[in-house]
Amino acid sequence: MATPSTTVKVEGSAQPAAPAESPAPLDQNRADQLYNKCAEAPEGTIFYQRDLSSMHVAETTSQLTQLLQELVDRHLMKLMISDNEPCWKLRSRDEADKLRQLSPEERILYHHIDQEQNKGIWSKALRAKTNLTAQALSKCLKSLEAKNLVQSVMSVKFPNRKMYLLKHLQPSEEVAGGPWQSEGDFDAALIDTISRVVESYMQKETCLNLPMDWNQYPTSDRTSAIARKKRIQNYPTALSVRNAIMSMGIIKDKNIAEQDMEQLLEMMVLDGKLEKVSGTNYRTCITSREVESYNGFVDAPCGNCPVFELCGDEGEISARTCVYFGEWLQTESEPVY
Amino acid sequence: MSYKQLDSPITAKLCNLLVEAEYGDLASRVFSILARHGRQTLAGIVRASYFNGRQIKLGLVVLVQQHLVFYSSTDQRVTYYEINWHQAYALVRIGKVLTLAENRFGKKASNLLSNLITLGHARIADLKEAYFPSSAEKSAADDHSDDDDDDDDAADDNPDDSRVNGVNSSNGKISDVQLNGTRGVERRKSSSSPPEDAKPILNLDNDLEASYLNGYPPTNASTTESKVPQANGAVDPTNSANDDEPENDWVQSTEELYATIYHLMRQGWIIKVDQMQYLSAGDLDAMARKEITAEEFPNRPLTGPKDKTRLEIATVQRKRRYREQWLQVPYFESQSDKRKAAGVNEKASKRLKINGTYVSRSESAHSVNSTNGTAYPEDDLVIRLNHEKVAVAMRTEQLTRLVQHRLGFSTAQVYRTLLGILEVNLARCYEEWPDPVPPPQDGIDVQVEPHFLVTARDVAEKIDPAIDLLDGLDPKAIVKHVGNSKVVEDTRLDPPINPFQISRDEKTKIVDVHMQLLQSDPFRFVIWYSRAGYSQWRVDFEKIAKATIELEIENTITARKGPLGVKLIRALKKKGKLDERQACNTMMMSAHDIRGTINDMVVQGFVQTQEIPRVDRREAKLSIHLIWYDLQRAREKLLYDTYKGMVRIMQRLAFEKEQVASLLQKAERTDVVGNEAKYLTKRELDALRKWKDVENKLLLQLYRQDELVATLGDFLGPLVTI
Ligand code: SF4
Repeated sequence: MATPSTTVKVEGSAQPAAPAESPAPLDQNRADQLYNKCAEAPEGTIFYQRDLSSMHVAETTSQLTQLLQELVDRHLMKLMISDNEPCWKLRSRDEADKLRQLSPEERILYHHIDQEQNKGIWSKALRAKTNLTAQALSKCLKSLEAKNLVQSVMSVKFPNRKMYLLKHLQPSEEVAGGPWQSEGDFDAALIDTISRVVESYMQKETCLNLPMDWNQYPTSDRTSAIARKKRIQNYPTALSVRNAIMSMGIIKDKNIAEQDMEQLLEMMVLDGKLEKVSGTNYRTCITSREVESYNGFVDAPCGNCPVFELCGDEGEISARTCVYFGEWLQTESEPVY
Repeated sequence: MSYKQLDSPITAKLCNLLVEAEYGDLASRVFSILARHGRQTLAGIVRASYFNGRQIKLGLVVLVQQHLVFYSSTDQRVTYYEINWHQAYALVRIGKVLTLAENRFGKKASNLLSNLITLGHARIADLKEAYFPSSAEKSAADDHSDDDDDDDDAADDNPDDSRVNGVNSSNGKISDVQLNGTRGVERRKSSSSPPEDAKPILNLDNDLEASYLNGYPPTNASTTESKVPQANGAVDPTNSANDDEPENDWVQSTEELYATIYHLMRQGWIIKVDQMQYLSAGDLDAMARKEITAEEFPNRPLTGPKDKTRLEIATVQRKRRYREQWLQVPYFESQSDKRKAAGVNEKASKRLKINGTYVSRSESAHSVNSTNGTAYPEDDLVIRLNHEKVAVAMRTEQLTRLVQHRLGFSTAQVYRTLLGILEVNLARCYEEWPDPVPPPQDGIDVQVEPHFLVTARDVAEKIDPAIDLLDGLDPKAIVKHVGNSKVVEDTRLDPPINPFQISRDEKTKIVDVHMQLLQSDPFRFVIWYSRAGYSQWRVDFEKIAKATIELEIENTITARKGPLGVKLIRALKKKGKLDERQACNTMMMSAHDIRGTINDMVVQGFVQTQEIPRVDRREAKLSIHLIWYDLQRAREKLLYDTYKGMVRIMQRLAFEKEQVASLLQKAERTDVVGNEAKYLTKRELDALRKWKDVENKLLLQLYRQDELVATLGDFLGPLVTI
């Protein structure tokens, strides 16, 4: 871990990020250190404050804010909002270099195009958003294309529209298309197969099966000595899962894009098979339910009772006459005549 | 408090059953009149009942003593009575309270609380009198030789044992910890019929306030009668001789009594009784409002929204101030003497062994001559249990269990330790009276008061050293911080590490690894704050409480509908309002497969529907049908259903008991107790055992349902819905 050291303040492009505190002298190295740590994570990872803070680079929350601001200013990180929480994504140094050399107009355009992700944005819409003249717009877009930052595609839906999106993205397959469907409906068999594969892949990546004797220090009674799963702190992203699955060669005739995999992973989160650790990272749920026990209400007869709403304090349907209680307790209920 | 629906017909039924079980017929009749008719005067109650004024008063006195009714005499001539639903519901928790207190403060403290609960509230002097009657000559200090074993006893005994001791010591341990409450309940019911308890404070014709101010009159015969047997039961040498274990569950000296009370007050478990606690929420609000209006807006009417907001803010502030006053621990002369004498480190250990056994021993050594101790000014203080604090403790336990379920035993113990450190500083689970406009929280840069923060080092120092902190962690993470081992075959530590011999610094780092696990869990059990003490953490209780509510709803749905229902709920939670097609897309399923589930969930009240017409004519075919999920509604529905489930359990319990009534009567005869095998036939014995099983099974679910009620209702205020 870095020991705190006081050194020179970095160049002044950064607006003060934490107004509460006077800007403490920051170490450029420390920002780089943070960047490098982030770069160790799987590609496409989204970082939340909690992820960044536990890297033990910043001393306090406000210092962390400053470091992040610096990285954002240097285009090495992209600030986003997800679930009402700020989060950050890494840009490659290459990309950051390119971005730094953009003109202000180009940068605004890039920002808008980036926003739309794989949906792409129509040039007219860009013009409306930026108030640029037609000439300036096309000049800037050309230059962005030349720098290999954005690409243009023709819309399938509106064939005369030119849509712009970032260079490395796959244009989305319009509407409910996509690899998971066949003949307009979800291909349950395919989804099932692939989610099983993903599930076992995630198990392998995020869990570790420890044997009983994983730590054989001399001691007599170890009640906890059972083999079981432990977590490994490595959480794949939609992109890395996609790459892994594609390389297995199970899916042959279809291309699964990052977004398609994200859709599947999100669905698996709903299924309770995976849990989302942060923005784009997933892991296996370890909490398996060994016993059939939920909560005090549904574990007792009434919680599952088909006549719950009809049951009263007395009368034909009541706790005294209840057959379910009788079964559950193995006692006789009051007979109803 | 409407979202807890404590004043619904079902809860009225539930509370009535509880009051009846605890305080008998008369009190429960009066209670039920108040429940049915709402706020009433004495005359009003009499009119609504078949009882005469005298009987009603007897019932009322019990209810007042137990804080089960509010009363207000804003109008000088009449007093209005109104039910205190929270207090009534809390009756189901008594056993829980004692277990929680015992785990935290030891058995003596839980015994003390148990007595305090039985009394409702009490003057310290009267508690002292009950424990150490001035007439009794025997010095409590006699038994002191056993003090050191105190700890072990507390760990594995029933908190109720000492109270039950005199009565059924031979009964052994038939029931698990969960059942304490009811055993206590039954005993109390039989031992104290309301009229006896009520006698001392019967001057309520004139002024009911006196009843609370008096607390428990020391001279009263029935007091000593009902209390002394208990006190004696534990202190009596013959009794403790029967037991193999040393009898140390009972406060041994007046010094210890003061120390225990003082400690429990500082921990927030015991609070002062204040007249204002007898005001219902509405009356309290009115009073605060009146005060503020008189102070801030003298001689002028409120004008405009600005004045109104000011009044609102000032009113809740005032109410909070009242409440904080109840929590303030007054100056204890007995304690200041003592601290001078022994320099007790109050915060040193969580269990604290009631200020260290040594202390009380040395103290009692030089004050043995006065059995009843010196009188101190604090003797006049009237005290009671603080239910808000109980909820905090319940939350700690529940969260620990949840973490254990999700992340394993040792991480759960780390979390428990962390929560334990915080507990002292948490007066309640959530602010019932928040400022109307919450202060904005900007971004990630939250400022947190230091006493809501815990460092990895704090935990490492405080955690029970018998816990294997390495358990449950990735070996690779372990070797990074501890010793010189390496990981072979990805899984084995080589050489093995003795988890009980790692250095303090290593321990801190290992705790930090557990913290990382807690943080990365979707529940976000902790949130990083700074690098102080290796790493410093805070807990966002509100978010966690919300997540646990969601979890319980999901559990309920899983049990009823299986995974598909939960999937639907989660999809709706994530995406908001959806039409059928969108729901299909999110769940990646065909409409055909989810339709049935949607319908069921709508019927069960977990999913809401909305129809938006697309054309002028309202035609179902031409409308958009949206479904959505509202957490607050689902929460209220489940809470309400759970109350109902509890009522059914209590009704079934009463029914089952009826079936064996005559047998129970026989078994409880004094000549039979202890000689069951001799006097009862085999069939009777079997039936008795069967009844015990039935009772246990029912009560266990009752307590588990109370846990659910706590999760749903006690840890978080109403949720604002879209
Ligand atoms: S008592 Fe029996 S009938 Fe009534 S709700 Fe419960 S299980 Fe259903």
